Amino acid sequence: MTPQTGNSPEQDQRFARTPMKTYSLMELVRGVSPMVEKGPDDTIFSFPMVALLELILLIGTTLVLVIFSLLRDAPLEELANPDVVTNPAKAPWYFMGLQELLLHMHPLLAGIIFPGLVILFLIILPYIDVDKSDAGRWFGTARGPKWVFFTTLYTVVMQTALIIFDEEVGLRGLGAASPLILQVIGPLLFGVLLFGLPALFVRRYHPTRREWMLVLFTIILASAVVLTISGFLFRGPGMHLYAPWNMPGGYNPWSSL
Amino acid sequence: MSSFIQSVTQSRVWKSFFRHGWPDDELNRSLIMTTNIFFHLHPVKVSRRSLKATYSFGLGIIATILFLILTVTGTLIMFYYVPSTESAYQNIVHLQTRVPYGQLMRNMHRWAAHAMVLVVVLHMARVFYTGAYKPPREFNWIVGVVLLVLTLGASFTGYLLPWDQLSFWAITVGTNIAGYAPLIGDDLRFILLGGVEVGQNALTRFYALHIMVIPLALAGLVSLHIWRVRKDGGLAAQQAAEEPLRFEQEDA
Repeated sequence: MTPQTGNSPEQDQRFARTPMKTYSLMELVRGVSPMVEKGPDDTIFSFPMVALLELILLIGTTLVLVIFSLLRDAPLEELANPDVVTNPAKAPWYFMGLQELLLHMHPLLAGIIFPGLVILFLIILPYIDVDKSDAGRWFGTARGPKWVFFTTLYTVVMQTALIIFDEEVGLRGLGAASPLILQVIGPLLFGVLLFGLPALFVRRYHPTRREWMLVLFTIILASAVVLTISGFLFRGPGMHLYAPWNMPGGYNPWSSL
Repeated sequence: MSSFIQSVTQSRVWKSFFRHGWPDDELNRSLIMTTNIFFHLHPVKVSRRSLKATYSFGLGIIATILFLILTVTGTLIMFYYVPSTESAYQNIVHLQTRVPYGQLMRNMHRWAAHAMVLVVVLHMARVFYTGAYKPPREFNWIVGVVLLVLTLGASFTGYLLPWDQLSFWAITVGTNIAGYAPLIGDDLRFILLGGVEVGQNALTRFYALHIMVIPLALAGLVSLHIWRVRKDGGLAAQQAAEEPLRFEQEDA
């Protein structure tokens, strides 16, 4: 093939087998290669190790699921009947935290505002805590694990106490009668107590932003777990608290999975 | 035998399928990851630290596996299920008593659905407590929050389909919560149910959401989520493995 001359139109040109081009060094720049200060990267090829691990997880998960499914059947009650209300009538277990919360305060607070704030917190979280020097480390700082442990302990005790208090005594039992106090102001004060006490305590140790987030997230997560377990396992007929193994009328909370 | 294998792997047909050699050297181990649509979501190389079981517990992968199992068992159940208040319950009874392995399929679908919600929540807790939401992973964290909401939606819409007392009252209670939203609450509930109470319209809507809308959104976003892990430099553990070296230099 002969090299095209400059006279032929652009679209007719073909690249020649031996291009008449020369290459030369254009510039020297001062800089470092991308790996400087990164050290030995200690990586391995994804194939076959990652593929193998995924295969093991696939087989393991399927096996556990098949065995569990052979042992326990999915529940099926009688045909749906809008005229016969079940007692208790419960949402699926992952919404029982919300349903539990609804027992204690105004539905706007429990059903919309609090869950909305949690979702909002989750979305803005990575824009609040941006220091990436401790990313990829469990609990971030040296005192992180201790703080998470004690925050979890505090939240579980406090949340359980609040649920039992509201069931056994309640603000009504203390003499409050106005719906505003019972449904809004009272629950908000308890909320301030739940988040405020650890905040006051933690503040003395000048926490980093990551540590603030650890405490805040742990209070939310532990509260959600306690509320969900209380609603799913301990609420029986009339949505009152009972021991799960001793429900009136032979109601079994596990049968509603 | 080896000449037979060679003639197969050297053939035009084989080479049109696989554009790399047997993955036992560095070049081919890179090529197998970049030329395969499934492997392409993964990075070619990963840090040893990110593979430690006690770092990630494999929760994200387990959630994806559960989603795949739910897709397969859900499709099988669809062959026997019609979303009508007249027949839905009878279809489930039929599936459990007459269809070979029907009960097992339904059990697997049910338990995998619960497990997926649980695993996704645990996965989020893991990502939070390892600080893996920090830059440059902010966007992927938000995709994860959306995936959590979609997972709850997928499970909730499926809960109604057996059309028994359990599902009817659970969905009645659950959608009542949406009704508490100020101003738009009643409309929101009406849109979800296609009426003022749980009936045929609600069953039709929940079925369409459950088998088409939410799974498609999940499949797309899960792919984005996993691909983005690679684009953001692998698991955050990889980053942590590099950090101590940097600190040592600063101290010196």
